[in-house]
Amino acid sequence: MKNISNKIYSQLFKLSRACIVLLTVGYSLPTTAADYPEAGNFSNGSKVWADNCNRCHNMRGPKELKDDQWISTAFHMRLRAGLTGQETRDIITFLQASNTKTVVSGATQVSAVISKGSTGKETYEKTCIACHAGDGKGAFPGTPDFTSSDGVLSQSDSVLMDHIINGFQSEGSPMAMPPKGGNPNLSETDVSKVLGHIRKVFGR
Amino acid sequence: MQCSCYSFRRKILATVVSISLPLMASAESSNADLQTQIDVLQNQVTALNSEVQQAAEWKNPNTLIHMAGYADVGFISPENGNDSFVIGTFSPIFHFQYRDVVMLESELEFNIGEDGETEVALEYLTIDWFVSDYATILAGKFLSPVGQFRQNLHPSWVNKLPSAPPGFGHDGAAPISDLGLQVRGGFPLGGMRTNYAVYASNGPELNSETEDELEFELEGVRAEGFGADRDGDKTFGGRFAILPVSSVEIGLSFVTGQATVTELENGVEPATPGLESGFIGSETARDYDVIGADFVWFTGNMSFRGEYVKTEIGEATTGTTTGEGAIWESLYTQLAYRLPGSKWEGAIRYGDFDSPHNSQDVTQVMLGVNYIVSNNFIAKLGYEINDGETGSSADDNRTLLQLAYGF
Repeated sequence: MKNISNKIYSQLFKLSRACIVLLTVGYSLPTTAADYPEAGNFSNGSKVWADNCNRCHNMRGPKELKDDQWISTAFHMRLRAGLTGQETRDIITFLQASNTKTVVSGATQVSAVISKGSTGKETYEKTCIACHAGDGKGAFPGTPDFTSSDGVLSQSDSVLMDHIINGFQSEGSPMAMPPKGGNPNLSETDVSKVLGHIRKVFGR
Repeated sequence: MQCSCYSFRRKILATVVSISLPLMASAESSNADLQTQIDVLQNQVTALNSEVQQAAEWKNPNTLIHMAGYADVGFISPENGNDSFVIGTFSPIFHFQYRDVVMLESELEFNIGEDGETEVALEYLTIDWFVSDYATILAGKFLSPVGQFRQNLHPSWVNKLPSAPPGFGHDGAAPISDLGLQVRGGFPLGGMRTNYAVYASNGPELNSETEDELEFELEGVRAEGFGADRDGDKTFGGRFAILPVSSVEIGLSFVTGQATVTELENGVEPATPGLESGFIGSETARDYDVIGADFVWFTGNMSFRGEYVKTEIGEATTGTTTGEGAIWESLYTQLAYRLPGSKWEGAIRYGDFDSPHNSQDVTQVMLGVNYIVSNNFIAKLGYEINDGETGSSADDNRTLLQLAYGF
């Protein structure tokens, strides 16, 4: 009888210990997440995407999945890469905004917060730098080296404007640049300014 | 004159009527056709509206269902042995997500054994509760967070080479998976980013083997997520990593707990039925400790990574298996470089695995060339130079071809 009592006490002790842990977690953290899907930051999303995905595997372009598929994929990668919730939302925002939408109506899509600079330099730093890097040599495989003397900048402005505005896939690159670098808020004037900045800083 | 005028009027009237009647008839006919077309269009628009509404309803669900995964097929040519076409694995991953609150993740693993039988395993299954921006609770069977290879790099479309580093497969030095409760996430620390994982689990089991039917020796640590805790003591472990800059990650891992021999191998048929369970019953729990360290540095077209893991099993005072402890130790470093502006990539890996059994020890250099057809479809050619105990399979060099596809 005493043994049975001891076992019951032991099990109750273990159970209460588990309850304390769960209650502590439950009360110290919100029980439900914030509004879903919550808008993230496009510029930060492009940076986090460029900084993290290539650490383990080849980059997956925004066009590879539909908008709703990117949500589950990003949450899966949140766990794999140790991303914060905000970084995850930022990446979803970037990928969805950069995605070429075959079905626009009704698609699960966050409202992107996409800022753009007033100068070519600012636009480059907010929209282009994640993939093309601060030194213009490309942040990961597949992005062209702007500093190469016979590289992409040897082409005319009209060709480059067309590539930036409509998107383009370089030869040998497994991933296409999305139209306007994924930032639909860019006007033709903005694109012209950022091209001027790229030529000025990286052109040979 | 009047007569001629009257006649002329009649002629005109007759002409007008003769022209108007067919036109009126034609107009009535066109109106009817038009009405028919409008009716058809109206029906189509109604049907489309209904379809669009249904599509819109489905595309905004709180619940998302998603399938990902990977598969690989290949060809293996050992220097001393028969060449074989192989199916590495087909590993679908299922995601069932409710908003940003919870997600069920599960990966199955299908492959074909040498005997042609299809083998199925549950690689992992967790319910992930996103409790805050910085913490997620995972419950179920999860990939071991020790190091990077098992949890992030083992999928064939991610791995730069067509084989795992020695010691990072089954019965190696690195734990594969475990069953329990895990908390993981990431948070900023000063100007750095960090990520972490801590867990409590059932822990691994041990198997022992005999060659002379007299003495059993520890054969391996089976850290593959058991559904029961047969030693009764929970295992605790985790990993903490910092990213001082975005292109560098450095991680440290640990596991501590207890493990017991639960399987005696190599066909020792007990003379008396039930004797084997008697042998097992006499085994006692041993200390189980793992330490690990890993790093990765990537920039532009190049990535350089490495990992070290050591598993130590303590001594036992009683039991059928020898009382001595044992150590499994493994490390690898890998450099991969992709030619700028091309789809070609080269990789080289050095690995070393030490176990209590000389026949398993190996020092390996692997050279590989990859053609990246697309970012998730890679053709790999690799050559393993293995230096192990003479005459053992661990000493056999191999050529491997692999097509890996991530989806």
